[in-house]
Amino acid sequence: MSDDVISTVTGIVAGEFGLPAADIGPDVDLGSLEGADSVKVLRAVAKIERTYDIELEDDQVFGLKTVRDAATLVVATLAEKEPSGGGR
Amino acid sequence: MSTGTPIDVPWRVLPDYRCFGCSPSNEHGLRLNFTHSGDGIECVLRVDRTFESYPGVVHGGIATTVCDEIMGNLLVLKVGTSVFTTTLRTRYLSPLAVGVEYRCVATADAVDSPPYRAYAEITDPDGATCVTAVGTYQPATPAQARERMDLTDTEADLIESALADLRRGQ
Repeated sequence: MSDDVISTVTGIVAGEFGLPAADIGPDVDLGSLEGADSVKVLRAVAKIERTYDIELEDDQVFGLKTVRDAATLVVATLAEKEPSGGGR
Repeated sequence: MSTGTPIDVPWRVLPDYRCFGCSPSNEHGLRLNFTHSGDGIECVLRVDRTFESYPGVVHGGIATTVCDEIMGNLLVLKVGTSVFTTTLRTRYLSPLAVGVEYRCVATADAVDSPPYRAYAEITDPDGATCVTAVGTYQPATPAQARERMDLTDTEADLIESALADLRRGQ
């Protein structure tokens, strides 16, 4: 897992929740954060999608519990976008 | 940041231009007006109960329509040809309320080659994002546009002339 992705996702979540990034560890339950609600999580997801130019499925999004979950999903989705190569 | 400069979309050269999204003369439409906003464009959205879904809530299809409308027009302005939506994805973050003034901003990736990709975001008066959308669009040649649209020869020439002005950067 790239530390960059965790760091970027943490920054996005911190921005949407209005909390210092330092307060959001990668394994903290997002639902336990101060002022947590599903709209803030969705706003963070929308920003993550735009940042990485990816589209996440709702069944994946609503299963996210932590920053690490989100970062793992980002990395997996980016890997799926990579051309597999190999010619015709 | 909006520069506030109004944008004349090319369709306004048509005497009977009735676009549901942006014609000022369609009494059933949204009558959106666009202004420049950085590299993109923006518009204000405030709707009455005509476009209601649940009581007090703007119908979700209207939000998607606004996003499609502004993204499509942005690309037309950038590319100087008609474009048609090929895919459109909307993420609804929070409902829009009837009677509240929202802002919708569209931006686009580089328009080097089609399909073109654009993004739209609707924000509430506090700046919180309520809706995001991403769309892809294909340009239409003048012949394709003529085939798909119900235009007289004169109207087709008017539109093509307005689009040609855009391509020349006028």
